[in-house]
Amino acid sequence: MSVILELTKVTKRFGGLVAVNAVDLRIETGSISSVIGPNGAGKTTIFNTITGIYKPEEGDIRFDGQTIVGMRPDRITAQGMCRTFQNIRLFHNMTVLENILVGAHTRTPSTAWGAVLRTRHFKQAEEEARQEAQRLLLYVGLPRGLGDQLARNLPYGQQRRVEIARALASKPKLILLDEPTAGMNPQETESATRLFRKLRDDLGITVVLIEHDMKVVMGISERISVIDYGQKIAEGTPAEVRKDQRVIEAYLGRHAESTTISMH
Amino acid sequence: MHLRRVNPFKEILRPLGQLLIFIAGSAVVISAITLLLAVLLRPTRIDIDILQTTLVLLPQVLIDGITLGFMYAIIAMGYTMVYGVLEFINFAHGEFVMFGAFAGVELLIWLNAQGMLKTAELGLALVWITLAVLLGMVVAGSLAVTTERLAYRPLRGAPRLVPLIAAIGVSFLLQDTMRFLQSAINGDFYRTFPEFGPFAQRLTLFTVDMNGRPIDVAIQYKAIMLIAFGVVMLVALNYLVNATRLGKAIRSVAQDQKTAALMGIDVNRIIALTFLIGGALGGAAGVLWAFRFTRVDPYMGFIPGLKAFTAAVLGGIGSIVGAMLGGMVLGLLESFSAAYFSIFSRGAFGAEYKDIFAFGILILVLIFRPQGLLGGKTTQKA
Amino acid sequence: MSAQATSTNRFLQIFSGPFGALLALLYAVGVTYVLTLDPRSLLGRLLLFSALALIYFIPQRPAVKFLLGAMLVLMVVPAIGLRNPFLLEIGFQVAVFATLALGLNVVVGFAGLLDLGYIAFFAVGAYLWAFFGSQQIWHVDEPPGTFTVYATFPFAAWWFWLFIPLGILAAAGMGIILGFPVLRLRGDYLAIVTLGFGEVIRVLANNLDKPINLTNGPQGITPIQRPPLPEFLTSPELLATLSRWAGRPINANDVYGFFFYFLGLLILGFTIIIARRLDRSKLGRSWTAIREDDVAAVAMGVPLRRTKLTAFAIGAAFSGAMGVLYAANRTFVSPETFSLTASISILVMVILGGLGSIPGVVMGAAVVTLLNIDILQSLSLQLSSLRQGPDLIPLLGIPWKELPTQLDPARYQRFFFGLLLILMMIFRPEGMVPAERARLELHEEEGEAIPDAELEGDLAPDEKLAD
Repeated sequence: MSVILELTKVTKRFGGLVAVNAVDLRIETGSISSVIGPNGAGKTTIFNTITGIYKPEEGDIRFDGQTIVGMRPDRITAQGMCRTFQNIRLFHNMTVLENILVGAHTRTPSTAWGAVLRTRHFKQAEEEARQEAQRLLLYVGLPRGLGDQLARNLPYGQQRRVEIARALASKPKLILLDEPTAGMNPQETESATRLFRKLRDDLGITVVLIEHDMKVVMGISERISVIDYGQKIAEGTPAEVRKDQRVIEAYLGRHAESTTISMH
Repeated sequence: MHLRRVNPFKEILRPLGQLLIFIAGSAVVISAITLLLAVLLRPTRIDIDILQTTLVLLPQVLIDGITLGFMYAIIAMGYTMVYGVLEFINFAHGEFVMFGAFAGVELLIWLNAQGMLKTAELGLALVWITLAVLLGMVVAGSLAVTTERLAYRPLRGAPRLVPLIAAIGVSFLLQDTMRFLQSAINGDFYRTFPEFGPFAQRLTLFTVDMNGRPIDVAIQYKAIMLIAFGVVMLVALNYLVNATRLGKAIRSVAQDQKTAALMGIDVNRIIALTFLIGGALGGAAGVLWAFRFTRVDPYMGFIPGLKAFTAAVLGGIGSIVGAMLGGMVLGLLESFSAAYFSIFSRGAFGAEYKDIFAFGILILVLIFRPQGLLGGKTTQKA
Repeated sequence: MSAQATSTNRFLQIFSGPFGALLALLYAVGVTYVLTLDPRSLLGRLLLFSALALIYFIPQRPAVKFLLGAMLVLMVVPAIGLRNPFLLEIGFQVAVFATLALGLNVVVGFAGLLDLGYIAFFAVGAYLWAFFGSQQIWHVDEPPGTFTVYATFPFAAWWFWLFIPLGILAAAGMGIILGFPVLRLRGDYLAIVTLGFGEVIRVLANNLDKPINLTNGPQGITPIQRPPLPEFLTSPELLATLSRWAGRPINANDVYGFFFYFLGLLILGFTIIIARRLDRSKLGRSWTAIREDDVAAVAMGVPLRRTKLTAFAIGAAFSGAMGVLYAANRTFVSPETFSLTASISILVMVILGGLGSIPGVVMGAAVVTLLNIDILQSLSLQLSSLRQGPDLIPLLGIPWKELPTQLDPARYQRFFFGLLLILMMIFRPEGMVPAERARLELHEEEGEAIPDAELEGDLAPDEKLAD
């Protein structure tokens, strides 16, 4: 199996605080993996470091065999990696369709000159982008008429789906989903989980999740990495991780009453 | 936030020490650079000896720079305190300065018309000046509180640019309001600080011998007064913020409004008080500014306001100590550039470029060290 | 069109359907009639403006509205302008400032970057033609005030046409040069730095009369050439016909009034089309995206710095073109025109009209320009004529004569701008004609964001997050 994303000894510090400490991570092409850990363990910081929002102090990050440390976030997206955010960051005052079109930024060949002159090329590119956006809207399970709604007016579950459609619009090889089922009810969670699997099975996109819902994690992941205090404390298949003593300590030791892990 | 016992003497001596270090430090550095330039440029001029000219001017330039620095530092307090509490650039602060200046000057003009300023010797003159400064503080402070209540409070929580735009509006509105008041009452919109007392006299500190020419190094009573007022004001503010209950409340609101409110602090009241203190300091600075430059007009607050903001950013906005340092550095830089720019460039560039100099510094600081000279790590360790 | 949202207003419903169109036409005709009765009346000009605004708001098909508007702008105004050239002058100034406001709108309204020194780009265009289109080139070595007057100009007047694109390029270049270092700053710092930049440009214009005389300092540069008029426009037959229509002698100078009015409208028209097309393109979406949430925008592949720079450059380009035109129209430029007040007045236009809203911004520009050069001036004139007479001020009982000239309303622009800004921010931050998108946005709280300096991988993300 080839490796699409590889982190070697990645360290990210904020002043004196080490948020991510020498983390190694290997994501195989076409896999579904999860990164789990207690709140504040540094999972989102890892995502931010991978996507270029933060620059790591040490270590190397390779995407598709090429190092992406120090590359601008928008360039990394253009390379074929995209993400969603923990606290949904849609462009609230843009329509759903426009949100998805922004996601397609790196894949839309239209230029400012073309826009001013209304060239045939421009119209064609815009029309194709629109159709593609409309298609993605349906693909993530949203009704057709939703495209012209302002993103802010959508219910929470639908906003999550728009965010995924927006990420898909950049035609990623790898998608990073940051707590994609947070705040969903069980039915929504279940259909969202089906969608994640579809991304891999139909589109061949490698999927990495940060997730708190253990049912989702255990059900979908092929590999799980466990982060605590910025360090990777365990890794393996769901079955292996479930039995790992350090993982149980990390969760139960400190968060006994706040986190319920249903390890069935 | 942990409680600590406050030693009043320490709280007075510490800012004094800091001020002294800042003044001495920046004066030495800037003088050294200037002298170095003078030495380097000496061979380019045969008509005059640049080094000698530089040396002769130096004491006066330093004194001018330090008095200017105090005024910038005092005005900068208003920006930095409000920014610390609200993360908001109070664009209209320069206009509080202007209102304070007019209040003080009007009082003195009135006293003068009553004939009370004619006989004044130093002691009495001091009393009048102090009265004028106090009146300036009252007027500017009340204006600041009113502005906060009417224009800024309704916008709290709006996106960042909204209160900033409103503040620009307040600035413009206040300028023309004063212009209208002055024009309606006096028929013209600028006023002059009445001359009184022995402030123009000079106190000779020492005499240096330069190539057989004796040169007096003297300081005007006026400059001594300005510096004295500046020291009192900055030390008092430091004491207020660091050693009183009110100061503690202000600091906790600056740290985290929500938590402060949960601890039973009336956040609205503290914000209003912050504006009151900042505005009052601005008003005092306005009267001192008028004292120093004699003319007041409705637009006088704008440029000093902008420069004081530069000073606040230079020192690290939100930090009171930083504003003192920033004010000093900027005051000295400005006085040096005004004095030497023209000499060093053979008259090609005059003192008019001192504003460009100040803005240039602002841009450079924001780009390369947006947390300011004392911002970031340093203050955290301290 | 966003007018639809406002047109739910019951009053405007009267103007729906064919009957409504007729009603609007009648109103326009009525306004024209008032203007023909007294071409100089302020009331007539205000009615004219109200008719244009009404036409924009009424619930009619765009084609109908366009026709009605074009009738007023392209026929009525020039016709009345024959008898009162001031109307054309106002029209020209509205076109100039509407273009500037549209440029600033790209920066502030679309991309969300508050630029307080925007007038600097206008100055770049104006001084560019002022320098090359006058005899200033031959004066660079002379100290100010000792000018020899030459018979010819270094560049012939037709070069004006070439300097419009050059002005666009120069201003856009300036936008990029300024933008490059400062665009990584957070919003409020950016505002202060751009303000400083605007002041720097003005100070330079004031002082670059030495060591070499580039700008002629505070006196300004004059005379600046106007573009040559085509021969048929200045032919004696045409002038005679026009004079007959106008009932007063029309000379070549009057023809220039028409020329600049139409040229201004043409450039404004282009600007509107360009701004509109950009707003609805990939670039426009990117601007909105970085304004809404810059972290999410870069994560979606929008290059932050380049997108901001484009906004700066395009906004600057609009005002560069107008600067060249303005210099030619006035035949004189001086630093006074490019004050902070001017920058803020353009900001007032944008905010009054509606951030991000193209029709709003044009309307805002019209209102502010009318206020500036017409309403306040007219009030001042009224006052000074009262001052001539023996009457007393009502209530106060003082004779008008004793009212200080310092109280002329025309001197209190800043007062009105300030008041407008405060009131708009408190009560209607989305403006008179809100942009479709921004309607809700300005009342909302901003989401928390990762500090800006962290955004780009090429910045050193050191101690920022620690505090």
